Order: sequence, then C-alpha cells, then structure tokens
Amino acid sequence: MSQTASADHAAGIAGTGSAVPAIATSGLRKSFGSRVALHDLTLAVQPGEVFGFLGPNGAGKTTAMKILLGLVRPSGGEALIFGRSPAEPAARRRVGYLPEHFRFQEWATGAELLDFHGRLAGLGGTELAGRIPELLERVGLAGRGGERVRRYSKGMTQRLGLALAILHRPDLVLLDEPTSALDPVGRREVRELVRELAAAGVTVFLNSHLLTEVEAVCDRVAIVSQGRVLASGPLDDLAGAVTQLRLLLDRADRELLALLGRHGEVVAVEGTAVTLAVGTLDVAPDLARLLVTSGYRLYGLVPVQRSLEDVFVDLVGEVREG
Amino acid sequence: MSVLVVARWTLLEARRRRLVLAGVALSVAFVALFALGYALLYHDQQRAVVEAEVLGAGVLSAREELLAVSSLLLVLGLYGVQFLGALLGLFLGVASVSPEIDSGALHAVLARPLSRLQYLLGRFLALAGLLAAYVLVMSGALLLTARVVAGFTPGDARRVVGLMLLEVLILLAVSLLGSTVLPTLANGVVMLALFGVAWLGGILGFVATIPPGNELLANLGTAAGLLLPADAVWRGASFHVLPPSFLAATSLAGGAQDGPPFVSTAPMAPAMLAWALAYPVACLAVAVAAFRRRDL
Repeated sequence: MSQTASADHAAGIAGTGSAVPAIATSGLRKSFGSRVALHDLTLAVQPGEVFGFLGPNGAGKTTAMKILLGLVRPSGGEALIFGRSPAEPAARRRVGYLPEHFRFQEWATGAELLDFHGRLAGLGGTELAGRIPELLERVGLAGRGGERVRRYSKGMTQRLGLALAILHRPDLVLLDEPTSALDPVGRREVRELVRELAAAGVTVFLNSHLLTEVEAVCDRVAIVSQGRVLASGPLDDLAGAVTQLRLLLDRADRELLALLGRHGEVVAVEGTAVTLAVGTLDVAPDLARLLVTSGYRLYGLVPVQRSLEDVFVDLVGEVREG
Repeated sequence: MSVLVVARWTLLEARRRRLVLAGVALSVAFVALFALGYALLYHDQQRAVVEAEVLGAGVLSAREELLAVSSLLLVLGLYGVQFLGALLGLFLGVASVSPEIDSGALHAVLARPLSRLQYLLGRFLALAGLLAAYVLVMSGALLLTARVVAGFTPGDARRVVGLMLLEVLILLAVSLLGSTVLPTLANGVVMLALFGVAWLGGILGFVATIPPGNELLANLGTAAGLLLPADAVWRGASFHVLPPSFLAATSLAGGAQDGPPFVSTAPMAPAMLAWALAYPVACLAVAVAAFRRRDL
C-alpha cells in the first residue's frame, strides 16, 4: 500500500475517534442442522488491532468470519462490525475480505474483477483506473491484470484476492487463511502487508491454523476448537500463561518431588532433570535457595517459555480427548 | 447504482462465455432457414391459387387458403422462436445464481456493500435484457419475412411480441427463483419438468375443446397453466397471429380447434393474463426472500 493510502487511513481512524470496537460478538452461535459450528463466541477486536483467530480445521473460524460479513445468519447471539450489524450492506462498506478458497469469476481478467469489486465498493471509474495498476503491483501481479483469472496459478489467485481485500482502503480487513496457497516468499510478503496495514491503523482479523504466521503478526489471539474459544488474550500473555522451570540436580528422589510439589506442579522427570510448572517466575530465586539449603546440588534452573504451538496443541488436545 | 454494476458485469459474463456470439450465430441460421422455407411454401400455395383462378372455381376459398397458410407458417416459425426463447430463459435462469454459490465466487461479491435484492435484480435485469433482445430481433425478423414474402401482418403484432416477451420473462424468473434455493443440476431438472407440464397442460386444454368437450381435461390444462403460465401465454400470443377469417371458419366448425395443437383460436382469459403478469413479480419476490435467508 502506498504512503498516501497509509496517511488516508490514519486520518480516517483519527476522524472516527470513537471507542466502538471494530468487531464485537456476544454469545454468537451457529448450527447447521444438528451440527453446531459455533458455540457462544464472545470477543471484541479494537480498531487498529491485528487479531489472530486460531484453530484446527473445522473449528468454526470460517463460519465466524462469514457471520461478520453477513454471508451467514447467526442462530443466536449478536455480531457487530463498527457497531452495526453486518447484515446491513452499508455496514460492510469499510470492510475488506479474502475468502478461504479465494474463488473468483474465472472468465474475467484480474483487472476486470478489481474494477467490478471497486465499483461495488463505491469507487469511481477514474479513481479505479489509477488504483488497479497500483494494487496489482503491490501484490506482485504487475503486468498480469489483463490475463483471465482462469489462467492464474493458485498463488496468483490468492494474491489477486488480497488485492481485492484492500482495494477500497478498508478500515477492517478479514483474511481467511491468507497464505494457504503461497510459497515461503509469498508468505513473508503477506506478513509485510499485514504489518503495513496495521501501521496504517487498519484492523486485521486473521483466520489461520498456521501458528508461526499468527505469532509473527498478531497482537492478540483467540484459540478456538469445535466452535468454542479455549483461550484468548495478548500473544505474550497467552504463550506465557503457564510458565515452566527446568531444573537439573544431582538427584531426583521422592523428597525432592514432594518439596517441588509445594511450589508448583511437576510436569516431567527425566533422569535428574525435572520440569516444574509454576504460577510465576518469581518463585525461582526462593526455590534455588531452598534446594541448596536442603542439600541438593543445583546444576541448572532455566525458565522455559512455551511457544504458541505448545499452548495450542495442549488446549486443542484437551478438547479432543475430553 | 449497485444493481447496474451487477447488470453490466452479467452482460460482460454473457459476452465472455460466448453466449452472445453463439446466440447470434444460431439465430441468423434459424431466421435464414425460416425465410427460405416460408418463401418456398408460400410460392407453392400461390401457384395453387393461380391454377384455381384458371379453372375459375373456388377462387375466394383459395385466396383464404393462402392467407391461412401464410399465417399458419408464421405461427409455426414464432412457435419455434418462443420455444428457443423459453429454453434460453430457463438455461440463463438456472445458471444465474447457484453456479456462483457452488464455485464460491459469490462470497467475495456479497461481502461488498451490496444487498441480496440488488444482486438478484442486477442479474435479472441483464438476463431479461438479453432475452428481450433475442425475442424482439427473432420475432421481428419472422414478422418482416411474412410481410415481405406474403404481404401478411398479424392484426396485433405488438401484442404477439409482448406476450412472447412475457413468456420468456416468466421462465427466467421462475428458474432464477429455483437457482436461489436449489443446486444447479436439480434446478435444471425441476425447471424442464415444469416446462414440460405447462406444455402438456396446453395440449390437454386443446384436446378438451374437441367436441363433445371434456371439462376435466380443460380444468387440468388450466391447472398446469396456473402452475407455470408459459404455454398459456404463448397460446395467447398465437391467437393474435391468426387472421379473423381463419378464426371465423373455426368458430363455424362448432368451436372445435382447427389449427395445429400448439396454437389457440381463443384469446387468453383476462384472469390468466393477470396471473401471468403477476407471476414473474411473485417469483422474484420469493427469490429475494429465500436468498436473504440463505447461508453462503
């Protein structure tokens, strides 16, 4: 996105200046027949945030996004974008969307598709004439706008989809698995695009099951599985919610485990190495002194920061087993 | 505004999918064939009239025969046009919405500030425009042929063309409605079956007029016409093609149909005409209501 576009955005956000969340849902529910796709989804995304909606395939991520776009009607609860129901067409004026399977009318050329969507978004012909080549350039499709979408590779189609999503300089962009068809270079480009959007004050709502991608760009995440939010919060809090200490001692006897058990939960014992889950890292110095005074030889005490992937696998695994 | 954007997009699609090109090419072939056949048959009949004049017998009835042939040949050609137009209307309607849902191309479109009503209206208007152009050009070409070759013009050509337009719009509207609620293939099957029922209803109605007449058959024919007033509207149009002398001859024959089974020698009942006019509007209203509820 160009510099001027970014400035436009900043001005737009400052102009609205309200505390209305970009996205707010409460008790959102959707069932298709007997299958419940979404249970009681409640979340709020503030303007300017990059929000990651994480979950395994079939978790209800796409359903939630479609409700936010008025494509699917909720069975219960409420969804609002900038304080308005997405069922009202005018409420979607400030929203850009990249669908999961990024399928577009294949008989059209990329430029025609951009023109069509631009006009639907309320842009004029002269504005579009300048905007379309700029966008094609931005997503790496410079010079390919005259080709039929049918001839595009999957990666090119997804790039076109990204151009469609940011075409009208929206304030909120919903991206459903935006890098599924891209190679590593393309993925990096999308990460840069998301960062640029965020820098320009655009709210980004990102559906993904690619954790590294979410970790790289999101401010906050929600982890969903089987239609429920399992955890949500700032990325650092979520990944650090459960802190672990890894201790290396001369021996790991029953007394030691009992002593450690009073300060946390013993997660694993491998030889004389013990992994202890603790509420806060502040117990570490005291624990070190206690161990030494109790006659243990302490070779190492290292806090282990869990990755988002660990949190994800634990949470989703629990739900599947439970 | 958005309605026009969608309509323009739909016309571009028709062009890109070579629908317009194929339609024009086949129409030219149809009109050429009709003109040739019309001229040949008319001149044959004309020779028969000249021979009758030479013999000095039955000249008047021979001239009436010529008029009857001119009009029946025209009605036959128009029957072909309405049949092609009807199928075209069904195909365009069947392909109007559900393939876009199935392919997923509609998701990005309807996520725009575009209501489902606007989308459906845009689709309908563009397709109706294409169909109207088809019917106007084709029926106009046939009427012109009859006029040039035989000097024959139906009493109310405007009503003929108007009713033929109404018929294709009815078929477009009902298949567009089907397209918002059914998968493409299922909709195609249902629409062809409905079209067949309406056609059969027309035939039953025709058979019912053969003396001594059969009220049950007539009622069945009317019921089929109410279900889908396509054939009934065509019959209404065909009535206006036939010359008064032909109609008078039929009424002398005791009200029994004398022409081919796919034309009507009686005008359309006003109630049926009112129903036929309301039908496409009702179909569109139901389509919008159903499409608004549909999850994509």
